[in-house]
Amino acid sequence: MRVTLFDYGAGNIHSLAKALATSGTEVQVQTDPVKALDTEVLVLPGVGAFGAAAARLEPGRERMRQALDAGLPCLGICLGMQLLFEGSDEGEGRGLGVFKGRVTRLRAKHVPHIGWNSVEEDAAVPGARLDTVYYAHSFACRAQEPGAVVGWTTHEEDRFPASVRRGKVLGVQFHPEKSSTAGVRFVQAFLKEVAR
Amino acid sequence: MLTRRLIVCLDMKGGRVVKGVQFEGLRDVGDPVELARRYEAEGADEITFLDISASAEERQTLWDVVQRTAERLFIPLTVGGGVRTVDDVGRALRAGADKVSINSAAVTSPELLTACAERFGAQCVVASIDARREADGWRVYTRGGRTPTELEAVAWARECVKRGAGEILLTSIDRDGARSGYELELTRAVAEAVDVPVIASGGAGNAEHVRAALTEGRADAALVAGILHDGLTTVGAIKTLLHGSGLRIRSVA
Repeated sequence: MRVTLFDYGAGNIHSLAKALATSGTEVQVQTDPVKALDTEVLVLPGVGAFGAAAARLEPGRERMRQALDAGLPCLGICLGMQLLFEGSDEGEGRGLGVFKGRVTRLRAKHVPHIGWNSVEEDAAVPGARLDTVYYAHSFACRAQEPGAVVGWTTHEEDRFPASVRRGKVLGVQFHPEKSSTAGVRFVQAFLKEVAR
Repeated sequence: MLTRRLIVCLDMKGGRVVKGVQFEGLRDVGDPVELARRYEAEGADEITFLDISASAEERQTLWDVVQRTAERLFIPLTVGGGVRTVDDVGRALRAGADKVSINSAAVTSPELLTACAERFGAQCVVASIDARREADGWRVYTRGGRTPTELEAVAWARECVKRGAGEILLTSIDRDGARSGYELELTRAVAEAVDVPVIASGGAGNAEHVRAALTEGRADAALVAGILHDGLTTVGAIKTLLHGSGLRIRSVA
């Protein structure tokens, strides 16, 4: 199976690439959003700022949206999840709009939300339920379609989606590749499921 | 609700993990990739590499080690020591660090914190503060605790956050290596003064000290090094005590 990481800027993608790499998986890194679609699974990794990432995405935004609507499996992590929404208060530019809603700043005293927190009502990937995972973010996705949310988390008084899913498109606010064994198992279970 | 974190620190020199030994200087204690992975398996929530290399040649090996570690470690990795510029931070992140801690360079040029936060996000900028108790407060020191500054630690912590730091790594120079417990008063003063996570460092002698840092000291996380490397306690034993004290921590299945 070919898995492609769309690399839209600075940040650690080594751990993610290794978490995706199982026997039978070929992981590629692609900086061009259109070329990144020549794959069996697209991964939007999770480091950077929304504005810069949206700018890198823009030349291929329409094509990527069409590919996801047509059934291309996609895993968006942290900022990658946020890019699946319509737009963000963090920066200019448009997201893919696969999920309805905007990304807004966390409503909490302590921001960024950094550390290990729970996933509540986790139904993101059947057979790979998560308990405590690693988050590092200042913005959260305000999903307008309650049915799209497949996991929640709470930071102080702010409850927001830990994960959203529609068909083979999954967005997670946490970093599975930084959530130790359970996180790696989660990523691999998702790949196995969408490969079917 | 966030869990409290137990962070394991590995001192690095020339690409190897080293340990200070009284009267002997430094001793090689092992391969960083293997040690980091072992602590992950034991339940550590994060790993910090503190580079104490003295020369550019020694430091050069760090990036290769960071990359090899990131490819095999699946918990957050922070890299610090000798970070001077935005490019240094960028290089550490590209190599595979999730966060970078900045100490002396932030004192010399506080705008570095802002530049890094704007470019890479506040979540990866850790302001590292070394402080020593004095008659009327805590003074900030730089260059590995050798050089006193005019800065007071609590005010400096606030300034670091204002300038973009997403976490504070707070080390008591007095307690570092003493194993007599964390400097609770300092930790609490800083934790109450800022809205970002505070990591207590310096002084851990046993699991009870870690508990005290997280409760009386109000730290979000505790950094532990020597007592683990010397086998005086384990990550599991510390976490068991924290859990038994009613603190929310990540358990390892």
